[in-house]
Amino acid sequence: MVDIVPLSSYPSYIDLLPSIQTCNITNLPENYFLKYYLYHALTWPQLSFVAVVRPKNGYKTGGNGGAGIAGDVSGQYPKVVGYVLAKMEEEPADGKPHGHITSLSVMRTHRRLGIAERLMRMSQRAMAESHRAHYVSLHVRVSNIAALRLYRDTLGFEVEKIESKYYADGEDAYAMHLKLESMWMDWKAIEKRDRAEAKKNKKEGEGGADDEEEEDDADEGEAVGDLGKAEQNGEKMVNVKIGRALGVGDLVEKSDVQS
Amino acid sequence: MPQPLNSKDQSLFRQVVRNFEQKQYKKGIKTADQVLRKNPKHGDTQAMKALIMSHLGQLEEAFVLAKEALRNDMKSHICWHVYGLLYRQEKNFDEAIKAYRFALRLDPESQPIQRDLALLQMQMRDFQGYIQSRSAMLQARPGLRQNWTALAIAHHLSGDLEEAEKVLTTYEDTLKDGIPPVADMEHSEACLYKNTIIAETGNLERALEHLEKIGYRCTDVLAVMELKADYLLRLGRKSEAEEAYTALLERNPENSVYYNGLIQAKGIPETDHKALKALYDEWVEKNPRGDAARRIPLDFLEGEDFKQAVDAYLQRMLKKGVPSLFANIKFLYSNSAKRDVVQSLVEGYISGKAGSQANGSAEGKQDNNEFLTSTYYFLAQHYTYELSRNLTKAMENVDKAIELSPKAVEYQLTKARVWKHHGNPVKAAEEMEKARLLDEKDRYINTKAAKYRLRNNENEKGLDLMSKFTRNETVGGTLGDLHEMQCVWFLTEDAEAFLRQKKLGLALKRFHSVFNIFETWQEDQFDFHSFSLRKGMVRAYVDMVRWEDRLREHPFYTRIALGATKAYLLLNDQPDLAHGPIANGPNGTEISEEDRKKALKKAKKEQQRLEKIESDKRDARKAAAANAKSQSVDGEVKKEDADPLGNTLVQTKDALKDAMKFLTPLLELSAQNIEAQCLGFEVYIRKNKYLPALKCLSAAHAIDPSNPTLHLQLLQFRKTIDGVSDALPAQAAEVIDTEFEKLLPKSQNLEEWNESFLSANKNSVAHIQAALSGRQLLKPDSKAQCEKDLVASLDTPAVTIEEAVVALDLLSKWGSDQTAYAEKASKKWPESSVFQLN
Repeated sequence: MVDIVPLSSYPSYIDLLPSIQTCNITNLPENYFLKYYLYHALTWPQLSFVAVVRPKNGYKTGGNGGAGIAGDVSGQYPKVVGYVLAKMEEEPADGKPHGHITSLSVMRTHRRLGIAERLMRMSQRAMAESHRAHYVSLHVRVSNIAALRLYRDTLGFEVEKIESKYYADGEDAYAMHLKLESMWMDWKAIEKRDRAEAKKNKKEGEGGADDEEEEDDADEGEAVGDLGKAEQNGEKMVNVKIGRALGVGDLVEKSDVQS
Repeated sequence: MPQPLNSKDQSLFRQVVRNFEQKQYKKGIKTADQVLRKNPKHGDTQAMKALIMSHLGQLEEAFVLAKEALRNDMKSHICWHVYGLLYRQEKNFDEAIKAYRFALRLDPESQPIQRDLALLQMQMRDFQGYIQSRSAMLQARPGLRQNWTALAIAHHLSGDLEEAEKVLTTYEDTLKDGIPPVADMEHSEACLYKNTIIAETGNLERALEHLEKIGYRCTDVLAVMELKADYLLRLGRKSEAEEAYTALLERNPENSVYYNGLIQAKGIPETDHKALKALYDEWVEKNPRGDAARRIPLDFLEGEDFKQAVDAYLQRMLKKGVPSLFANIKFLYSNSAKRDVVQSLVEGYISGKAGSQANGSAEGKQDNNEFLTSTYYFLAQHYTYELSRNLTKAMENVDKAIELSPKAVEYQLTKARVWKHHGNPVKAAEEMEKARLLDEKDRYINTKAAKYRLRNNENEKGLDLMSKFTRNETVGGTLGDLHEMQCVWFLTEDAEAFLRQKKLGLALKRFHSVFNIFETWQEDQFDFHSFSLRKGMVRAYVDMVRWEDRLREHPFYTRIALGATKAYLLLNDQPDLAHGPIANGPNGTEISEEDRKKALKKAKKEQQRLEKIESDKRDARKAAAANAKSQSVDGEVKKEDADPLGNTLVQTKDALKDAMKFLTPLLELSAQNIEAQCLGFEVYIRKNKYLPALKCLSAAHAIDPSNPTLHLQLLQFRKTIDGVSDALPAQAAEVIDTEFEKLLPKSQNLEEWNESFLSANKNSVAHIQAALSGRQLLKPDSKAQCEKDLVASLDTPAVTIEEAVVALDLLSKWGSDQTAYAEKASKKWPESSVFQLN
């Protein structure tokens, strides 16, 4: 039977990446080198999921990392029969943070088990919870009736437009999307709890001086400022191209020699 | 000596640096030359020029210039930094680290040098050095959170959990009441990272407590739920664990690990099948469309309960026409009673014993038809599977399925598989081609068709099929594209097909290609040492680093390492193969010296012919490229492969040394693989390295003392050691004596030992083959008897086609005539093609 597990959050199945790549190149014409998968796994570790055939006697437990029942699955290499590789759009044209499905595939031998649907639902939910994605978008070949049925009828996607000659072989794509706001977490409630906890701690901690607090705030401001800069930097360096050159070659840092 | 530039040249020099940073390489070179015209010995400018050249693919020339730069200005941190950067490009990380260290000594405040050094230390897993670098970077910029996290990672990976946690806490303390907003994922991740560090100390109590404090505001909700459930269960807090696993299942009911957790939390004993089934039934009700809760109970149910459950399961899936049904069911067959129940149930469906099928309407008939086809398809797979194999029945069933549904790719595909198991790769490839033609736009079936071509040693046809889904304008065409896209499966199958044909050059070429892909994968992590810190997703990063350390443990690597080692052993034993496949004598017998020379001449001629073809192709491409500048999309000039046939590889002076490149990671990371240990022995014994050879034997013995290959190797080792022990250094001889005594005592009569192994394992063909080889080793004049016994081993009830193919190889190794064996095997497996001698 098939288990749906996270790719690189917890527990991590990141050692399945080579098998995921093989699953992709076995099934689909759009292929990527491993670094592109790594890039997804390490930038948005919450969003990608894998479908694996459960080993005959279940997963061994308590191997290398010494974690528990769900904690250690490393080095077992179960068969990969499907995956969803997902990301957040880096420079959303509409300014709204949203998710994007880079690649989804299920082995022909494992179709009609609802695997693709389950993979999609897991990813969608994570996009909403972790990244507050407004919606998720994807492309699908206009000839791919089965996929269209899954996205539109089962998952509720809408066709946004047709992108002409989207694929390398000249085929058109439906650009589809699905709203995700309904799955957002209530951040207001969380922040309310933050304040309650802070109050409680303050009472327990017995009076930190006011000016000290101010200093901390200033400190934090600076850190965030720097962070913002670093982040921006990072975004610029990623600059992933669409299509063939899809990759993270450009994520290489400038080897700046300053004089 | 540092040389001062006048102000105009100084600004030109700054221009060079800018040019480099903006990737205006040609301009940069021009500007540098301008400076150098007036200041020919200006080290910094030379260094910058060298750096730019290296980015234009002129690494060698760059090194020459960089060295000159250093001679001109030993005290320049720029020269040393560039020198390090060049080494980094060459992937000589040790030298790069040294150069960076020099640069840093000259300019201790330089952030870029410090950072470059740190990145390499991480890549090289020099954790102590990395801790030092990271401490310095933190001191320079303590306001930046990633510098704190980085130092924590350094301590964590070096094994100092306590220090790692302390660093994270120190930073957190600077936040005090000003908790970052929920949207700050860096914060959320750093908190979870700290939590996993606490858990790694083993103090789950504290980990859980910490998780409760931070978990509610972490946006990776699933991870928090998983961690919590795991901690609770391991802490024995059962009712809370039950709740946690229930919550996980509500999110994702298709994960067997969650069910296991839930069952443990509820304390349901493994033997209480009734309670277990009730639990799963509950989840079936909650998720009527799911599979896991229906399928898992089939694993533990027995007898009539099993029969009822599996009957319902099978009928439901057959009606839905789920193609993976058999793949899902076959795991049950290790229990032969369950296998038989499944078989009789499904056979029963064919004869109309399925429930609720009687429906006279047209629609019902249609459904019934689909049900019937699915059932034939299931039986075809069932009778192909090794634990329930009956290939005649498999073929009957698959033909019936195809008759009812001639356009179904899966059915035609299964027919090809039946032929494969018949030992007929020729027919298998043909039938798979038919399946491919049923859906030419589907890459999955195209992949299968290509694979079956390769299994039939039709390398070119395989590649040709692959070209239908590759971009063929890349340099190197389809093959180039498959390399670029790291298509490991194809390169591996291609290599193995060449190895079967004894085309060792091409086989090695492909094996090395996969080896290089693994190197690329290892290098891929480099950029993430800085990138992940900026992104803040440090848990995934740490998992990645740990994974990279055992990258070559992956079965993909194991497979090519075994293949390459076999190829090198073959090359070592038959150096003539360096010139291409050399035909054996008639029917595999040993070849006369005169014939050998003739064959060798012929092979060399063929080799030259192939080289000519390749070089013509290269010239043609060069001519074409001269017209249209052939550059890949990312602007990088792709180099032509100067040795597409692998002739350089195969003409090695030391095949065994080359084999070690593949073997060393294999023995290190897959020590539990007995085939790896046995091959390790073969390499070491040929190098006369007796201690490592013995180490492999001991390891193999610990895995499976009755392994047939090991048996033969033990005999070999005893004979070899007895012959050379006087010549060995006393200490080595003593170690070998005591250690080997445990595996095969000196006092043992080898012939008796071998014959008793034979009679103890007379039902296993692999063991018989090993014992017969052993007998020949001990008594060369027993050859005729061995040949006869080998032929007789075909009567062993359990003999498989694969084993029989190995026997043919064995005969060729013995220098024996294969005719009698091949004829008997052909008669035994009339559908096969693999026993046709040519």
